Amino acid sequence: MPDIIGGEAGPEKEIILKVENLSRTYMQGKVPVHALRSACLEVRKGELLAIMGPSGSGKSTLLALLGTLEKASGGKALLDGVELTEVPEKLQPRIRREKIGFVFQHYNLIPTLSALENVELALRFSGVSKKERKERAKALLEELGLGDRLTHKPTELSGGEQQRVSIARALANRPALILADEPTGEVDTKTRDSIVRVFKSLSEKGQTIIVVTHDPDVAKECSRVLRIVDGRISDRKDF
Amino acid sequence: MFDLIVRNVTSRKVRSTLTICGIALGIFAVIVMGAMSENFHQTFERSMGVTSDKIRVFAESGVFGGGLTDDRVSDVLRVAGVKDAYGLLMTTFDEDKMGMTGKQILGVPPEKSSVALSPVELKAGRFLSPGDSYHVVVGSNIKREYGLGVGSKFEIHDKYFNVVGVLDYTGSIFDNAVIIPLETAQDLYNVGDSISYIFAVPDERLDAELLSKRIELSVKGTTTLSPGELRTQAQQSFMIFSVITISSGLLAAIIGGLCVMNTMLMSVAERTREFGILKAIGAETKDILLLTLGEACCMGLLGGVLGVLVGIGAVGLMNTWLEKTRIVLFLITPRLLIIAMGFALFIGALSGLYPAYRASKMSPMEALKHA
Repeated sequence: MPDIIGGEAGPEKEIILKVENLSRTYMQGKVPVHALRSACLEVRKGELLAIMGPSGSGKSTLLALLGTLEKASGGKALLDGVELTEVPEKLQPRIRREKIGFVFQHYNLIPTLSALENVELALRFSGVSKKERKERAKALLEELGLGDRLTHKPTELSGGEQQRVSIARALANRPALILADEPTGEVDTKTRDSIVRVFKSLSEKGQTIIVVTHDPDVAKECSRVLRIVDGRISDRKDF
Repeated sequence: MFDLIVRNVTSRKVRSTLTICGIALGIFAVIVMGAMSENFHQTFERSMGVTSDKIRVFAESGVFGGGLTDDRVSDVLRVAGVKDAYGLLMTTFDEDKMGMTGKQILGVPPEKSSVALSPVELKAGRFLSPGDSYHVVVGSNIKREYGLGVGSKFEIHDKYFNVVGVLDYTGSIFDNAVIIPLETAQDLYNVGDSISYIFAVPDERLDAELLSKRIELSVKGTTTLSPGELRTQAQQSFMIFSVITISSGLLAAIIGGLCVMNTMLMSVAERTREFGILKAIGAETKDILLLTLGEACCMGLLGGVLGVLVGIGAVGLMNTWLEKTRIVLFLITPRLLIIAMGFALFIGALSGLYPAYRASKMSPMEALKHA
């Protein structure tokens, strides 16, 4: 069961992410759509935070804003000392490389590259040397139990294996925060449990992770759960 | 990044191959047409080098209009500044082939044959000398085609001539020349004392262009072509020929370029999600540009190499086949190869610019939503 339910971070560890009144409004024709309304939250280092909510509630928008994939309409988000909403567009890729790791529902691996090369890819853009890239990517995949699948292409891997490659890629640059958007949405329950175990293990080692999920069984395993309804973060305990 | 570019090109084998073939076809056309132009250019330059110091004096009615006879040579010689002058009779060697082989009979005064052909050197034997009549000096192509050597007999217009000299290879019109004494040529072709034109050698201290005008004014019924005018005229003809040949090659290459653009646009559309992923994991705009542009350049380069290789092969085959007819039509030069490869790369890069721009400007979120 989660320790804390709500928008405030638990005690003890330092706050790594602080979001204040973060909102995103876009125009659908002439009608403004409020995808996220004044979201506030704090996340401590090493937390495994679940965000739940119905489809279209704003979960993915929150992740996109935290991942600098979309521009906020208002508010602030301070991640590991960096004000995300004020990062110029030109510097956003650097923030994504150094501070954030993404895990997607559909794994989003490059189909023409092997598991090892997919993980290496994230390091390539950071200017890491070829030798170090290989070593780090290999170590990560071995840690995630994919030591014997290094040269396999995504199509030769199971859904669970692909998601673990995706997690390894997200971890490659040792980010401050991992954003996982429905990471278990495409896998069976056994694989789902193994992915959750990976997240929990990473969290125990100090990795901060925000997981957007529809699955209460995933949320149950997280250290804290937030619920978003109609673009607002609520503190309701039911999920 | 290069390994990623190569991977992307090789992972879509059929499409990449077809695109590369499109470029190759264009570059092949550039090579073949360019080789024709290069051959023409080289022959022109070498011919210019051989005859550039002489003024040509024609009858006002032109080379084939008649009207120029031996006695006009002395009129030209009398013009101040003319160091030497002599008449030449020029006609086609193989009239039955309408002169298509480029072989020419050149009737020159025997005592002037070495200066008339200067700076062409002999490979064997001697030039014509006073007293020669049924004697002939042949160009290198004629020697090769008819298997001639000094002392051989050579039949011209049903008469046998003794080969006394063989010219060195020049790469100019003189390689196909059959040089016989002027009087013998006049008798052989029954033209009386007619000549085709007069070569006037200007005094070194005099401007050839100025002397050319002076000859025209002094010797009535003649017109002249100075070395400068000859070069300009020839360059104009060469330019027209080059424009026609090169532009047909370029047109084919541009079509190849459109092939690359089409492929790259399709590839970018198909890989929208992939670009979103790359951006999400930290790829910068320049990385996406480099990746996409690199693929286009890579296909351009491969197409260029293939086109050049096939072009060299085809030109070689055609030259071998044409050798039987003594017509050399194609010449591959390093300059042509550099131009063809450069153009292949340029076409690749140019065609990849727009798709690369589109890919680099994608919003990562929109790209990730793409199915």
